[in-house]
Amino acid sequence: MSSPDTGRFFRSRHMEFAVVGVFLALLTVIFPVLNAHGLLSDYMISLWGKYLCYALLALSVDLLWGYTGLLSLGQALFFSLGGYMFGMYLMLLIGPLGSYAKAGQNPAGLPDFMVFLGHTFLPPFWRPFHSFGFAVMMVFALPGLLALVFGFLAFRSRIKGVYFSILTQALTYGAMLLFFQNDFTMGGNNGFTDFKFILGHSLVDKIAGPATMRGLFMVTSVVVLLVSLGCYWLNGTKFGLVRQAIRDGENRVLFSGYATANYKLFVFVAAAIIAAVGGALFVPQAGIINPDQMTPEKSIEAVVWVAVGGRGTLIGPIIGAIGINALRSWATHAYPDSWLIILGALFLGVVLFLPGGVVSLPPKLMELWRRYRKSPDRS
Amino acid sequence: MSDNQLIHSFELGRKSFFRSRLFSLVVVIGLLAHNPAMAAPETARETIVRAILTTDNGQKRAIIGSLAGQGDEAIRELFTAWRQDSLFVYLAPDGTKIPVELTDDKDANGAQAAIRVDNGEPLKDAAGQPLRLVGTKLVAVEHDAKLRHTMRSIVDLLDLGSPLLAKRLRAIQTVGFTQKPDNLPVLQARSQIETDAEAKLALREAIALIQLADPSDTIKLKALDELRELHSSSSYDVIKTAQAKAVASAKPEVAAAAGAALAAIDHHKSVVKFFGTLFRGLSAGSILLVVALGLAITFGLMGVINMAHGEMITVGAYATYITQNVFGEGMNFTLPFVRIAIHLPGLHLTGWAYQLYFLAAIPIGFLSAALVGIALERSVIRFLYRRPLESLLATFGVSLILQQLFKLTFGSNNVNVDSPIYLSSNWTFFDITFDWSRIFVIGFAVVIVFGVWLALTKTPLGLLIRCVMQNRTMAACMGVRTERVNMLTFGLGSGLAGLAGVFVTQLGTVGPSMGQEYIVDSFMTVVVGGVGSIFGTVVSALGIGLADQSIQQILLNPVLGKILVLIAIILFLQWRPTGLFSARSRSLD
Repeated sequence: MSSPDTGRFFRSRHMEFAVVGVFLALLTVIFPVLNAHGLLSDYMISLWGKYLCYALLALSVDLLWGYTGLLSLGQALFFSLGGYMFGMYLMLLIGPLGSYAKAGQNPAGLPDFMVFLGHTFLPPFWRPFHSFGFAVMMVFALPGLLALVFGFLAFRSRIKGVYFSILTQALTYGAMLLFFQNDFTMGGNNGFTDFKFILGHSLVDKIAGPATMRGLFMVTSVVVLLVSLGCYWLNGTKFGLVRQAIRDGENRVLFSGYATANYKLFVFVAAAIIAAVGGALFVPQAGIINPDQMTPEKSIEAVVWVAVGGRGTLIGPIIGAIGINALRSWATHAYPDSWLIILGALFLGVVLFLPGGVVSLPPKLMELWRRYRKSPDRS
Repeated sequence: MSDNQLIHSFELGRKSFFRSRLFSLVVVIGLLAHNPAMAAPETARETIVRAILTTDNGQKRAIIGSLAGQGDEAIRELFTAWRQDSLFVYLAPDGTKIPVELTDDKDANGAQAAIRVDNGEPLKDAAGQPLRLVGTKLVAVEHDAKLRHTMRSIVDLLDLGSPLLAKRLRAIQTVGFTQKPDNLPVLQARSQIETDAEAKLALREAIALIQLADPSDTIKLKALDELRELHSSSSYDVIKTAQAKAVASAKPEVAAAAGAALAAIDHHKSVVKFFGTLFRGLSAGSILLVVALGLAITFGLMGVINMAHGEMITVGAYATYITQNVFGEGMNFTLPFVRIAIHLPGLHLTGWAYQLYFLAAIPIGFLSAALVGIALERSVIRFLYRRPLESLLATFGVSLILQQLFKLTFGSNNVNVDSPIYLSSNWTFFDITFDWSRIFVIGFAVVIVFGVWLALTKTPLGLLIRCVMQNRTMAACMGVRTERVNMLTFGLGSGLAGLAGVFVTQLGTVGPSMGQEYIVDSFMTVVVGGVGSIFGTVVSALGIGLADQSIQQILLNPVLGKILVLIAIILFLQWRPTGLFSARSRSLD
């Protein structure tokens, strides 16, 4: 599989990372400061916090698709799994503040949806999630393990290209069906919501709430920065080069004596964990996680963020995730009937006319400008 | 009417000989009835007249009791009238007593229309004009508690003689389950004259159930023997109760016989379940096959990942919806954005002509989806033949756009597509229910698979399709107009999806997002079957359908079954990464 020739805006990848780093560092500082002084609404902070979580999801897709040539349609699953793992911890923190507990009908301190479904005790696998450390560990472990098993099976039998996409889509679809089940004790179609605390800080309090949100925003921004740094570093290593070679001609790499399956497996697991961390940070800021987040469509949407921003670049996924989600926030209010059509047209337009994404636009325009300057009928 | 009843009426007539001249007539009929050529069997109405004119209450009950097992609806109507005091005896000018039913509203004089009980015709005077009578001036027909009880039990048994089979079956079952020994003679009389095989079986079961309540052990054993032979699952609980009673009263042979009957029913049930699952699995597989066959062409042969395939199914389904409305009352809708109101006039057909809309929808659904597919190929897909992964993204965009357009045009709610009569009933054979719609889908799947096979292997276009799909560049070099072949192939695949859409209107809901339900399954079916192999798609669709239904039967949870099937497919692809039947090739990618 060959990658489209993306005209690059940045001459060197160092330059690209510098821009990304400065942007994220400024975001980490400026937004919370503005918010603390009342110049930026609390809503904008949580909104941009969500955009940054989506940027993590987009980076994970880019790592797979942009750099390794694996189009995974299951990244939304890993994102949601991370969200669910962290959401379990947040659910157990609600405890006596839940609506059943307030009415005195919840002596066992269960999450509300379990009381509603008639459970009388906490299912055993929920118990360790009282601990923050365990929940964070599971955010890494469960998606990582699933990716390891699934990736091992898929890469071992050399499932690639379109087949890999369809299989990951099926995996996501199956998991979605499972999480929609009430018996699965993961909240059914309502999922987890109504969180009150995180690590002793209130999420809903009038005064303490916005401060917690600022903190979460800064953490998210720093995580995006660290992941970008990691990707930048990886691209410079031999590993990163082999990975890109797999994208451009897997058989040649295979015949050169590299075990491509192991490379792909490592990237797949790493991308799953990045997406899961994004999901875990998403849950307290969005205040909800439900199976709608893990539909195959969500996965494809994340791929489109990357395609629109520019695959195979560091800045592209971040631009794509923030840009399209900002567009969504605006369009779902301004043109609710047309939003899906705008999104669909964006898919089509980028694939047909701009395979390199937005990032490839400036060099293309500059090229046109240069030709225009040099054209004979102008002088 | 049987000879018994005639003799009965003859005797009754003789006893009341002097009471009324009418009875002399009955006697004559009774006597003449021995000559078959002149037999004029007494109708239920005439029997009731006789009962009304009898003065002795015991006689009355006996006459009414003789109506047991007859299916004449007039009995119910007249008994109701009797109990509601609307039956009267009219004394005709010549002295004959004519029982009448007064119906309709009273007019200014308090008079009502009179219907003769003996034939249901309006009562007329000598000039032939309908008479209107005042109830208070007539003699009301009396009834007492015992008589009412008799009448009620006759009405209960009335449906046993109903000419409608379904009603008769229900009545037989109801009577059987009450286990009242009084009803036994009626059932036995009925089984003498019953001609329908199904009703005969039901009668045998009902009789056996009543005999099961008999105190005698020999009769009980005989009844259990009969029930074991009939192995009807509806009597399971009754036998179970009988078994418990037999155990409690220490009657080992009855308990053993009941156990044998239960075992026979269990065995029968499992056989029925097995074939039922087989049938449902075949029909589920056929649906999957019909849905996935189009994809086997666009994805399998052409290598295009068409995520908008589901929307082609939706196009077919909405085409069916529109066809139905055009055959009926017509419909109005507005195209979104351009705001063009479209009015489709209705043909206002009724009955069979309207029912034919579904057959008309089959070609319409195919053509409309094929046209949408060709438009999609010309505008988007032809630029992406060398970039399959990106065709996935672009067509997903198309899918979102189409879904939203459906929503804006037809509303976000599901629309209603009627089932034509010839698809909505079912057929029960050996206790397994076969829905016509499912049988139709199986038959249809066979027809289109055969059609596609013919089109691909026996027509000039099929030859061109196969050669372009094998090597587009080489085919172009040989002078094949590959652009045109691509377009037609994609149109064929999309049209097949449209056909699937026409059929799923009979099995699922029709709404703007309905295509999404099928898309994951369709891709899995094609991948498991082996990309590029139509035969592989057939085998994998039937296999997945059967596996899905069997797991559902075992787990009793459709969603969990589906998840297990998905996991099984992922594991299956470990074993055969290129599917069941893949094209052998020495090329690397």
